Amino acid sequence: MIQLTDIVVRFGDFEALHNINVHVKEGEFFTFLGPSGCGKTTTLRTITGFIDPVSGTVAMQGKDITHVPIEKRNIGIVFQSYALFPTMTVHDNIAFGLKIKKLKKDEIEQKVNAIARKVDLSDEQLKKAVSQLSGGQQQRVAIARALVTEPAIICMDEPLSNLDAKLRVQLRNELKKMQKDFGITTIYVTHDQEEALTLSDRIAVFNKGFIEQIGTPNEVYNHSATEFVANFIGDINPLEKEIVRGMGLETGKHHFIRLERVRVNQDKSGDNIYRTEGVIESREYYGLYIKYYVSAAGQTIKVIEKNDGIRIYEEGERVRVEIHPDDVMSYPGKEG
Amino acid sequence: MRDALRKNGLNPSMIYKIFGGVMFLYLFLGFMVIPCVNTLTSVFTAKDAQGNTDPFAVIRFFLAGNMPSFLWNSLKLAVCLVITVNVVGISIVLLTEYFDIKGAKILRLGYMTTLIYSGVALVTGYQFLYDNNGLMTKWLAEMFPEMNKQWFTGFNAVLFTMTFACTSNHALFLRNAIRGIDYNTVEAARNMGAKPFKVLFRVVMPTLLPTLFSLTVMTFITGLCAMSAPTLLGYNSINPEIVRLAGSTTADESFPQARAALLSVILALFTIILLTVLNHYERKGHYLSVSKTKAKLVKQKIQSPVANVLAHIYAYVLFIIYMTPVVMIIIFSFQNWGAVRTKTLDFSGWTLSNYVGVENYQYTRSTGKIATRYGAISGVFSNEKTVGGIRLSFILSALAAALACVIVVVAVNYIFKHRNKKRAAIIEACLLFPWLLPTILICYSYRTFFNDEVWYVFGQNLYFKENVRILIILAYTVVKLPFALRMIKAAFYAIDDELEDAARNLGASNLVTFLRVKLPIVLPSVLAVFALNFNALFTEYDMGATFQKAEGTTYAMVIQSMCNEEGRDGMNMNASGRRCASTVFIMLVSGLILYLVYGVGARDLGERLAIRERRRKRFEKLKGKLGGRSQE
Repeated sequence: MIQLTDIVVRFGDFEALHNINVHVKEGEFFTFLGPSGCGKTTTLRTITGFIDPVSGTVAMQGKDITHVPIEKRNIGIVFQSYALFPTMTVHDNIAFGLKIKKLKKDEIEQKVNAIARKVDLSDEQLKKAVSQLSGGQQQRVAIARALVTEPAIICMDEPLSNLDAKLRVQLRNELKKMQKDFGITTIYVTHDQEEALTLSDRIAVFNKGFIEQIGTPNEVYNHSATEFVANFIGDINPLEKEIVRGMGLETGKHHFIRLERVRVNQDKSGDNIYRTEGVIESREYYGLYIKYYVSAAGQTIKVIEKNDGIRIYEEGERVRVEIHPDDVMSYPGKEG
Repeated sequence: MRDALRKNGLNPSMIYKIFGGVMFLYLFLGFMVIPCVNTLTSVFTAKDAQGNTDPFAVIRFFLAGNMPSFLWNSLKLAVCLVITVNVVGISIVLLTEYFDIKGAKILRLGYMTTLIYSGVALVTGYQFLYDNNGLMTKWLAEMFPEMNKQWFTGFNAVLFTMTFACTSNHALFLRNAIRGIDYNTVEAARNMGAKPFKVLFRVVMPTLLPTLFSLTVMTFITGLCAMSAPTLLGYNSINPEIVRLAGSTTADESFPQARAALLSVILALFTIILLTVLNHYERKGHYLSVSKTKAKLVKQKIQSPVANVLAHIYAYVLFIIYMTPVVMIIIFSFQNWGAVRTKTLDFSGWTLSNYVGVENYQYTRSTGKIATRYGAISGVFSNEKTVGGIRLSFILSALAAALACVIVVVAVNYIFKHRNKKRAAIIEACLLFPWLLPTILICYSYRTFFNDEVWYVFGQNLYFKENVRILIILAYTVVKLPFALRMIKAAFYAIDDELEDAARNLGASNLVTFLRVKLPIVLPSVLAVFALNFNALFTEYDMGATFQKAEGTTYAMVIQSMCNEEGRDGMNMNASGRRCASTVFIMLVSGLILYLVYGVGARDLGERLAIRERRRKRFEKLKGKLGGRSQE
C-alpha cells in the first residue's frame, strides 16, 4: 500500500531521517513509535507531502508519489491539534475538502451527513462551532473531515496527546473500532508505547532517525530487536554482574528482564531457574497490581505481582527471587 | 523541467514577488525614508542672508536663541507627567483592583471615561469647565475667593489635563498586570507574617515594575510630543512651536523651516533613545508567575479605619474629577446658547439646537436698529463647516485605517510564511520604523517635502489644494502601521500551523487557504485594529494641525476653531454648545467602537452561535405568547 524506500531527510546540516524503509500493508493499522525528535513525525510528513526527502521514494499502491503535490496524494490527515477551522461550523469543517473539489451542493450534503452518521455526530452537532464540542467530539470531526474525501490512507499525528488520561483510553478504543469499520489503511504516530501496543497491527520503533524494529506488538515487546526497543517499550530490569554470573550469561552482553517475568516466592520447578534471596525495599500500590523494589544480588530488582488480595509483601520482608533464563533478553554491549 | 522553469523563468509567482518587492521599496523609501531624510538634511542646508549655505547656522541659532526653552518646557512637562500619571494611574488601579473599596465597579467606569473622551474634545471640555470663567473655576472661586481664577492656563492646565487624559490607558495596562499576580504569593507573604502594606510594597509592586517601566517611558514620550493640550491651553512646548514654524516664512523670522526640522530631529532622537532603552529592558524579561495553578487575586480590606476612610475619600474625589467634565458636557450640550455662554445651568433652557437645526439670531446694532444674523445658531449635524469636518475626518480616517490594515495583513502573512528568513525581519523592521519617529516629524517632513512637485508621486504637489487630503491619508496610514503590525501579528500567532497544513491537505491553494482559513481567524483582530485606528484618527489633532488648510480641515480642527469664533459679529452664537454636542457625539462614536471591538468582536463563532440560538428561542417564546393571546 505505502512503500518508503531509502528515505533520507535533511534540515540544513542535520539529517533527520537515515535511509528509512517501511512497507505498510493494505488495511493495516501501522504505528510509528518513538521518543520526541526521533523522526516519526518527519516520516509521516514525508508520506503526506509536507516534507520533500533528499533521496529515496514514497510509493502508494505501486505508484511513485515522492513529488506529487500534497493535495493530489489522496491521503487524509488527523492532526495532533485536530486543526479544525475555528471560524467554521462542524458541518463546514467536514465539507471544506469537498467544496474545494467543487462537488455539487447535494452531493456535499449527502457525503457530510453520511460520514457524520458513521462517526456518530448528530445533526445538532453539525450546526455547532467546533469550540462548542468536547475533545472527543472534536476528534470525531477531525476524523470525519479526513475521511469524507475518501482518501486511500489516513495518517494520524498523535491525535490523543491533548486529551486527559481517561478520555484517551476511551477514544483509543473508539479509534480502533472506527478503523476496523472503515477498513482504511492507517498510519499512526505516537510516543505512547501503551497506545501503540493496544492499537496497532504492526509497529515501527524509531530512534534518532533510524528504525530500530518493525514488528507486531508482541514481537516488539517480548522479542525486542535492540536494547533501545527493550528499554523504550515497557519497564525493564537491567541485570547486573552477580546475577549475570550466577545465571552463567555472557558477560560481554547487556541483559534485561521484564518486571512481570521476575517471580517472587513461586518455587517453580526446573534446574536452570536462577534463584536468589532478597528483601522488599519498598512497594507501590497500583490497584490491579503491586510493584515491589527488591534488593537482591547486589542490585534493586523491580517486580510486578498481580494483586490477588491474598499475599502482599511488607517492606523488609525476605523473599526468594526467581528468574528463568528464557525470559532474559540479551543485547551486544557497546563494544559488541 | 518545472524546476528548471522555476529557477530561470519568469513564472506568475516570480512576477508577484518582483512586483511586491518593488512596491514595498517604493512605499518605504518614498513615504518613510526620503521625506524624513529631507528634513534631516534641511537642518544643515540653511542659507544665510547672502544665500550661502551655512551648515551650522541653525545649531548656532538654537544655542543662542530661545529655542532651548521649548525643549526645556517639553522635558519639564514629560517629567512631571510621568510623576502625576504614575501616581494617579497606580492609585486608581490599586483602588479598583487591589483594595476593597465600596463601589469599585462604578469608580472603574468613571476612571475609564477618558478612553472615549480624549484628545481635543477632552482639552476643550476641560477648558469649558476650568478656564477663568469656567463652570468649575466659578464654583471654586465662590468657595475660595482668594484663588487665582487664571489657574487653568499654561503648564498647570496642560499637566492637569494630560494627567487625566493619560491615566485610562496607563490603568488599562497596569490592571492586566495586577490581574496576572498569583494570589497565593500574597497569601504566602501574609502567612509568613507580612502586614498588608508590606505585602503591597514587597510582593505586589515588584511584579508590576516591568509594566510600570514601559508605561513610564511611553508616558514620557507622550509628554514630550504633546500637541493638542499645549496648543489649546497655551504652553510653549516643542510640537506647537514646530507647527508654528512650519507655517512661518523667512520674511517673519530666521530660517523657520530649518528650525522646525531641528526641533523635530531632536524630538526623534529623544524618542529613539527612550524606545531603545525600553526595548532593551523588555528583552531582559518580565517577572513571570511560576505557579501552575494561579489563584485569582482577592481584594484586600484596608484594616485601619482611618486609612480606609481616606482611601474612599481619595477614590471618590478622583471619580468626581473624571466624571464632572463628562456629565457637565452632556448637560450643557442640551442647553441653549445663552446658558452655555454664561456657563450657568438654565432649567428652562433645554434644547436640541446644538445637535440639529438652524436658527437665526436677532441683535440690536449701535444705531438702534434690530438686525438678523441668519443661521447664527446651528447644530453639529446642521452646521455646514462641522458636517464638512466630520465628513472629511470620517472618510480620511476610514481610508487610512483600512489601508494600514490591508498593508499589514499582507505583510504579516508574508512575514509568517518566511518567519526564519532575513527578508521577513527587514519588512517587519520597516513597518515598525514610524514608531521610532515622532508623529510631528513625519507630518512636518510630509508637509515640507511634498509641498513641491515630486517626481515619484507623478509630479504632483501633494500639499496643494485638495491633494492635501491624500497627504493626510498617507500620514495617517504610516503613523498607524506600527500599532497595526503589533496587534495583527499577535493575531497571526493564534493561527496553528496545522490549520494551514490541513487546508493544503484538503486541496486548498495558498490564496484559498489565506482567504477562507487564515483571514477569518484574524478578521476580528483586523477589524478591531481598523476600528481603534479609525477611532483615534477620527478626532486626531496633531496631524490635522500640521496639515491644516482650507481643503484639509479635519473634525478636530473644526472643534478647535469653535473655541475662537463664538459670537463674533453675531455669528456662531452657539459655538460652545455645538462643541459640547460634538464632544457627546465623539463619546458616542468611541463608546460604540469600543463596544463593537471588545464586546461584539471578542466573541468567537461558538459564542455567536449560542447568542443566535438564545435569540431564536426568545423570539419563538414571544411568538408563542403572542399567538396564544391572539387565539384567546
